Amino acid sequence: MSQPLIDLNHISKSYDGELILDDLNLSVKENSFVTLLGPSGCGKTTTLRIIGGFETPDKGQVIFGGEDITLLPPNKRQLNTVFQKYALFPHMSIAENIAFGLKIKGKSKSYIDDKIKYALKLVNLNGFENRSVDSLSGGQQQRIAIARAIVNEPRLLLLDEPLGALDLKLRQDMQYELIRLKNELGITFIYVTHDQEEALTMSDTIVVMNQGYIQQMGTPEQIYNEPENAFVADFIGESNIVGGTMIRDELVEIFGAKFACVDKGFGTNKPVDVVIRPEDIDLVKPEDGTLQGIVTHLIFKGVHYEMEVTTPNGYEWLVHSTDLFPVGQHVGIHVDPFDIQIMNKPESEDEEAVGVNE
Amino acid sequence: MKSLQKKLKNFWENFYLVLVLIFLYAPIAVMMALSFNSSKSRSHWGGFTLQWYSQMFESSAVMDALYNTLLIAFLSALIATVLGTAAAIGINSMKKLPRSICMGVNNIPMLNSDIVTGISLMLMFIAFGVSLGFKTILLAHISFNVPYVMLSVMPKLKQTSRYTYEAALDLGAGPLQAFFKVVFPDILPGVLSGFLMAFTMSLDDFIITHFTRGAGINTLSTLIYSEVRRGIQPTMYALSTVIFVTVLALLLITNFSPSGEKAGAGKKRAALGDSEPSGNGGKAAGTPSPLWPKIQKGLLVCVSFAVVAGISYTSLLKFNASHSDELYVYNWGEYIDEDVIRQFEEETGIHVVYDLFETNEEMYPVIEAGAVQYDVVCPSDYMIQRMAENGLLAEINWENVPNISNIGQTYMEWSEAFDPGNFYSVPYCWGTVGILCNVERLEELGVPVPTKWADLWDPRLSGEILMQDSVRDAFMVAQKSLGYSLNSTDPGELSEAKDLLLLQKPLVQAYVVDQVRDKMLSGEAAVGVIYSGELLYLQEEAESLNLDFTLQYVLPEEGTNLWIDSWVIPWNARNKENAEKWINFLCRPDIAKKNFEYITYATPNEAAFRLLDPEYQQNTDVFPDTSTLTTSEVYRYLGTEADDLYNALWKEVKSQ
Amino acid sequence: MNRKKNQLLAFPYIFWMAGFTIIPLLMMLYYGLTNREGAFTLENILAIGSPEHLKALVLSLILAAVSTLICLLLAYPLALILRNRHIGQGSFIVFIFILPMWMNFLLRTMAWQTLLEKNGVINALLSFLHLPPLSIINTPAAIILGMVYNFLPFMVLPIYNVLAKIDDNLINAARDLGADSFQTLTKVLIPLSVPGVISGITMVFVPALTTFVISNLLGGSKILLIGNVIEQEFTKGSNWNLGAGLSIVLMIFILLSMTLIAKYDKNGEGTAF
Repeated sequence: MSQPLIDLNHISKSYDGELILDDLNLSVKENSFVTLLGPSGCGKTTTLRIIGGFETPDKGQVIFGGEDITLLPPNKRQLNTVFQKYALFPHMSIAENIAFGLKIKGKSKSYIDDKIKYALKLVNLNGFENRSVDSLSGGQQQRIAIARAIVNEPRLLLLDEPLGALDLKLRQDMQYELIRLKNELGITFIYVTHDQEEALTMSDTIVVMNQGYIQQMGTPEQIYNEPENAFVADFIGESNIVGGTMIRDELVEIFGAKFACVDKGFGTNKPVDVVIRPEDIDLVKPEDGTLQGIVTHLIFKGVHYEMEVTTPNGYEWLVHSTDLFPVGQHVGIHVDPFDIQIMNKPESEDEEAVGVNE
Repeated sequence: MKSLQKKLKNFWENFYLVLVLIFLYAPIAVMMALSFNSSKSRSHWGGFTLQWYSQMFESSAVMDALYNTLLIAFLSALIATVLGTAAAIGINSMKKLPRSICMGVNNIPMLNSDIVTGISLMLMFIAFGVSLGFKTILLAHISFNVPYVMLSVMPKLKQTSRYTYEAALDLGAGPLQAFFKVVFPDILPGVLSGFLMAFTMSLDDFIITHFTRGAGINTLSTLIYSEVRRGIQPTMYALSTVIFVTVLALLLITNFSPSGEKAGAGKKRAALGDSEPSGNGGKAAGTPSPLWPKIQKGLLVCVSFAVVAGISYTSLLKFNASHSDELYVYNWGEYIDEDVIRQFEEETGIHVVYDLFETNEEMYPVIEAGAVQYDVVCPSDYMIQRMAENGLLAEINWENVPNISNIGQTYMEWSEAFDPGNFYSVPYCWGTVGILCNVERLEELGVPVPTKWADLWDPRLSGEILMQDSVRDAFMVAQKSLGYSLNSTDPGELSEAKDLLLLQKPLVQAYVVDQVRDKMLSGEAAVGVIYSGELLYLQEEAESLNLDFTLQYVLPEEGTNLWIDSWVIPWNARNKENAEKWINFLCRPDIAKKNFEYITYATPNEAAFRLLDPEYQQNTDVFPDTSTLTTSEVYRYLGTEADDLYNALWKEVKSQ
Repeated sequence: MNRKKNQLLAFPYIFWMAGFTIIPLLMMLYYGLTNREGAFTLENILAIGSPEHLKALVLSLILAAVSTLICLLLAYPLALILRNRHIGQGSFIVFIFILPMWMNFLLRTMAWQTLLEKNGVINALLSFLHLPPLSIINTPAAIILGMVYNFLPFMVLPIYNVLAKIDDNLINAARDLGADSFQTLTKVLIPLSVPGVISGITMVFVPALTTFVISNLLGGSKILLIGNVIEQEFTKGSNWNLGAGLSIVLMIFILLSMTLIAKYDKNGEGTAF
């Protein structure tokens, strides 16, 4: 489980003078489910294509199972890809599509037939052998694309936004399917998406990327609860990101009010970014709150209410709560110390958090 | 390692591309080079000149042809685009069966060979009595252009979402507005590329135009084809060079304009009527550059404006020049000094509509069908007889042609062979057919200079003989060498002649119409059968080129074909008196002299002969002593049956 | 859209087709099936069986087939190269293939005469390089060259068109599944480009089969093709009925290629422009 299956060392890549990846380092362990997450243009697809062998990096190495495969053509790599728009061969039947890789490898007919049956069963499409590609729905084509890849028994499966073209319900179903498949097959998945919910649901590890850099890498919980910078915090879930000053360890000042927190080591009187998730804000009576404000907006969201609370300095706090506070009511804001996440202010412009443009 | 491989692959790809481009552009480079060649010969470099460029603009024939070509290309492409786009929309919304039927029929002109399309259209036009001319070419071009438009609009139309149209309606647009504001911009690239394709196809067409064209109208293609008989005029190369450079410049401007790449990509797609290349890593997908349609539009507007301005300008000129008094002349290509026409118009005030044909056989059905009413035509001997026998000629009123007295009596007597009684024809040019020899080449081969037709069967001349590519001229050689009459209809004699021609075929380098002259000048062959009319030009050219060999003309001992081209007036001429004025004018000694100096075919006009430079008068190749030509004969028309026999035998020779 | 109303838009062209496609063909049939006196006869159709005509037809078929094959072999790699460069300057290169068509077809073919002649440009170059001369003028080889030259764009463009539409990811998928470049070509690209190849073949084969100009100019008129026979019947022999009859035979070959097209090119994807 802990063996690194693939290592990307100092990978750089640019197109037409535009830097897409800058000195990227990434290590993926055997049998993990890694998601590359980021807005479009962040370099996640390029990373995947470099692993797949469709692009050669300008600088750096790709190490796969201890071997340098940087210059190896895709057909010599022990990994397979599930393409964004499925890329099924329209001139072949379903069975021929699935058998493509095996035939190239010169497997026997009975072996191939068994594999087709097995793969179709795995993706719940028994009996589809002789159907034509255009007779399938998007979700079915997606499953066939996965079946076509896994019959080759790759050590690593690359998935390039495989669910992007499916509707919401189907996408959710397929997410569970993919997790089940991964567990049944025991192979490593590298998954590319711009959908943070998908990433949080499925992955062991999430790699958040932006503008060719890795912003943060960690478990879904870490990424969600402890974003390391404002970009990650903003990209993953909804959050209130405000400027503050670290007075000393475990005490931060926001809009003139002092909040207790659990973070240390930022120095004293240092400007920082503070992230507070909307569900972590408790609305209390004005006198019990650390900050005071007025409810200015209210929407019923089913599970909870979404409210905006405006503090005297004009900042609108996003708050999720199961309790209803009508518009116009004066409230106090309270946050538990462990719900406050302190981040360093970005040092260079490159690291500057940019708006999430989906 | 990989990058090296990639470089190598790239190198081979580029190498291959360059090879193909050389293959495609080598002939064009040749044409451009020839446009600066001061020699008219295709195969000799006579020095650099720009004279063809200035001549090109002065020649009304060339400019008219260019004008017609562009006008037809533009109009046919425009009409085809409108017709085709409408039809594409209509057919697209049909049910499956009628749609497939329509598309099937639509494909016919594209799949059918040009020759079948051209001929079938010609048959129809003639059957319905539509006179062949500008409009028939235009109709034909529209017909073969529409399918190209349809095929580039159809795919765009299929891509267009129905909802955008409905959205436009929903937002308050009327159906027409919705179409022009929403659907049309969507299919515009397809429409434009259809237009461009149609324009190109029309410009490049020869075969269909060849069959559907008629009076007073030439496109560049047909003009060039008519020049093939006497050698392409270098002005044509000059014109082609100008066109090529213009198009290339337009292309470069649209491709490398500020919007650069995208304009190019758009153009490509437009040119191919293609959908956008899908899924190339998300790059360049989707958003079409807003600039390229603007450039295209601008270009289109400019071009249309230029064409429209050109049309109105020239039609204005034509309108001003149009006279109530007209004369329709139908003559061989390159068979008159254009100054003579101008002079005639000035002196008489009669407006001349001048038209060309390439062969007697091509001319005949035109006159027979009467689709075009020519007033005066210049066919050859045997064809005059055929026309007279079939009642296609009007008797000439000799009172209106006093200058007939200038024509030598000998020629009037010869004419009696095909025009007994001299009712219908006035000799214009005459000559013999003989053998042109490359003396040095013959010496090399160890063959004496031929003195008779039979010498053309010498096996040492293998691959060195140029024969004429016409039935009668080819058979004449065999018939004369056998001692038969060249007007023989005896199947036995003809079959003997055919066998002889078959025997000769392996020795023949090529059967050519016009190119004997050029090929002999470039030393391609040792001997060639040639019309004596070519000789003066040949001799002058040979002198100016400083050839390292001498060309000698031999009149074979067995006798040869004496040919006469004469002016006749068709039975349905509308301006018979003008025609007689024309004939009389051409018989004037000074005019005949001028014409001779231009076309260099021997003139039967004795008064003109006396005015000629002594150097010409003493040239016995061109003006042989008529008394020595006793064994020579004039072609007579032999009737349909004999014609069919000749043709069948000739086909046998050619297909072996 | 309003289908009924839209269908009306097709009517002008339907009338046009009736007038300028169907009626002319009927005229052709009429001429082909009658003799000079206007009586019905099959003679003109059966005339294809005479040795001269049959020989011309067979020779035409052979030359057309050979030049179609050469065009295909030249065009396919070319289209592939152009496809792989479809971003940017590729467009210019594609247009370069249409550009020669703006030069007159006769002049271009005549120019080949100048290039190929015994004392022509190519032989001058060869002798300068002390290489043996090339003597293909007035042979079938020269005719094939002329056909390939004139019709190559009609092969390149439809193939390119189909290839350009193939999603890059299909190729990536094939590579990903273990196919090398050659296997990708034979198993994915070629099968997917069949419609383009078919329409390219038709667009080259039909005009090559029926040309008379190329064989006249480059074959020295020593080689009689079926196109020459028909042309001569109309312009020299003046037996229009025979010419029409032979044209009908030619049309049969065209019908054959139409069925081919309909079979392989269901969506009309492979059309040239």
